[in-house]
Amino acid sequence: MHRGKGMKFVGDSRVTAEKKANLPKDYSEYPGRTEAFWPNFLLKEWLVGSVFLIGFLILTAAHPSPLEQQADPTNAGYIPLPDWYFLFLYQFLKYQYAGGEFIVLGAIVMPGLAFGALLLAPFLDRGPERRPTKRPIAVGLMLLGVFATFWLTYESVQHADYAHRAEKYGVNVEAVESEIDKSGPGWEVYEANCMSCHGEALQGQGNYPSLMDTEKSADEIKDIAQNGIGQMPAGIFNGSDEELQQLADFIKNAGSGGGGEGGSSEGESSEEGSSEDGESASGH
Amino acid sequence: MSDKKRVSRRQFLNYTLTGVGGFMAAGMLAPMVRFAIDPVLQKQEGGTMHSVISVDEITNEPQRVEWTVDQVDAWYESQVQKTAWVYNDENGDILALSPICTHLGCTVDWASNDQYPDQFYCPCHGGRYTKDGVNVKGTPPTAPLPVYEHEVKEGMLYLGDSKSRKGA
Amino acid sequence: MLQKLYDWVDERVDITPLWRDIADHEVPEHVNPAHHFSAFVYCFGGLTFFVTVIQILSGMFLTMYYVPDIENAWKSVYYLQREVAYGQIVRGMHHWGASLVIVMLFLHTLRVFFQGAYKKPRELNWVIGVLLFFVMLGLGFTGYLLPWDNKAYFATQVGLEIAAATPVIGDGIRTLLAGDPSIVGAQTLTRFFAIHVFFLPAALFGLMAFHFILIRKQGISGPL
Repeated sequence: MHRGKGMKFVGDSRVTAEKKANLPKDYSEYPGRTEAFWPNFLLKEWLVGSVFLIGFLILTAAHPSPLEQQADPTNAGYIPLPDWYFLFLYQFLKYQYAGGEFIVLGAIVMPGLAFGALLLAPFLDRGPERRPTKRPIAVGLMLLGVFATFWLTYESVQHADYAHRAEKYGVNVEAVESEIDKSGPGWEVYEANCMSCHGEALQGQGNYPSLMDTEKSADEIKDIAQNGIGQMPAGIFNGSDEELQQLADFIKNAGSGGGGEGGSSEGESSEEGSSEDGESASGH
Repeated sequence: MSDKKRVSRRQFLNYTLTGVGGFMAAGMLAPMVRFAIDPVLQKQEGGTMHSVISVDEITNEPQRVEWTVDQVDAWYESQVQKTAWVYNDENGDILALSPICTHLGCTVDWASNDQYPDQFYCPCHGGRYTKDGVNVKGTPPTAPLPVYEHEVKEGMLYLGDSKSRKGA
Repeated sequence: MLQKLYDWVDERVDITPLWRDIADHEVPEHVNPAHHFSAFVYCFGGLTFFVTVIQILSGMFLTMYYVPDIENAWKSVYYLQREVAYGQIVRGMHHWGASLVIVMLFLHTLRVFFQGAYKKPRELNWVIGVLLFFVMLGLGFTGYLLPWDNKAYFATQVGLEIAAATPVIGDGIRTLLAGDPSIVGAQTLTRFFAIHVFFLPAALFGLMAFHFILIRKQGISGPL
């Protein structure tokens, strides 16, 4: 590089006016098999990246991201579950000396120590040795931490029934998109007697079954409304016989009456079903 | 093969790299771009017709009629008020003009300016239209007022979407 | 034509050294999977960055439809997922990418740890890396609430209770995050949105820039 006297600049700037050859660096004489980053090494990295991307896109296409029902703060029966990478902490707090009165220990002190140690690892493990076998304490503690995290996550997943959750808490697409005839007298009777459990769109929630596309006859519906069935107690319906008839007709016709274009007859709320609907809906 | 035409190893790597990079960018961006431009590719649905006024009430003098339309804006559903100037033209045909000025979208009014009693007048920049909705030359608007699709059923006037007309 | 344009800019700004430095920097044999297959462990960092790029892009596109408001948040997510073309895919990329970025970060951290690559002179880069890990976890936590479904709502409530367990300042932290001492609602959602979309990404970009500059400066750690 040119230094000192005789330097030429572009205009009054500090950009040097000297033309330099735009040549790649030559690594051929380096010891070992050193490569240039561009294009040699980056090509390999990007090939790995491409394979990764294909796998990633297949994953996203095969597993639509889950969406549960809209948040309902009054839903007392909901069992919360954090995303999987927080499960270890969630599970840890279930233990006697980490939760309850010891919550400070479990939620703040222990994770604080663990993550603090991780953050300051270079200052705790100061020896010059790099090989794992030459620094047993640091490696041992890390293995312990990794093992504990895996085990806690595993324990938590054991207790959570994901398939059941998806079914119970997932969006009932059919119910959300169906249009129920709310103008008739049947809707008012339904609203007064049944809606608090079976939902605004007859979709049900939790242990309360969906009433959409019910296979029961109008007489059976009348009987259930008055005398209950399964966990549903008797005497929920109180109104006149005329209202009872209106209610039975309303519930009987709700599935077939609304719905609009397609999809309403498939009685499933699974994720696969919803993705197919999504594609057909986007095609309009 | 002459030396000039030969592809060096380095050039070959560069071309491959560009290809692989292009593939990755396309794989990532294609779904996202399609996602973003979806509104552009959505087909416009023909609007439904709404009953607005009894045919008997329509005179030769433009009168303002208002009606509400259920509008679905993605996840937001609302009722929107629409306005039209309706009158019978010389041939006795019904004409329903949109009041949206073709200049900058202000609302025009019939005979609101004393100087131009037989014209639509836009208060924003003084744009004027003759009774049939054609813009007056020399005023800001460059196109006539849009016309609503209309049909008459059982003595009622039904209006649909407004269609813009070519400039005069 | 292109060459002339390049020369014109280069004469004035002298850009050649800038990109030559990045393009030509030395990649030693021991990190190259073409020579030693076990060197694939060095890919984890790059893949983390790749997923981060996917997250940034898909996140930018998602905000075209998403609204951070308790009345409409869920509806807008439902709409974009069911009615918009490829909405399922774009939201899926963001959703699964969030998990993958944690997996990749975890693997990258383990690689660096077990190789002792954080030892002198690379202590500072390790600290920055762990901070990046925390930022990513924060992004995961705040992003989880945004669709405003039951899962999001109740998990956030648990998370806020954990934060509230901090001695002395616990309730303060909870209120700061939730926007209200007792309600998890409208203000919580807008706060989490702001943190997820502006504050944490800003921290992420700053730390990532630092991380990469230090790698470039110090080079990759040598073979064991």
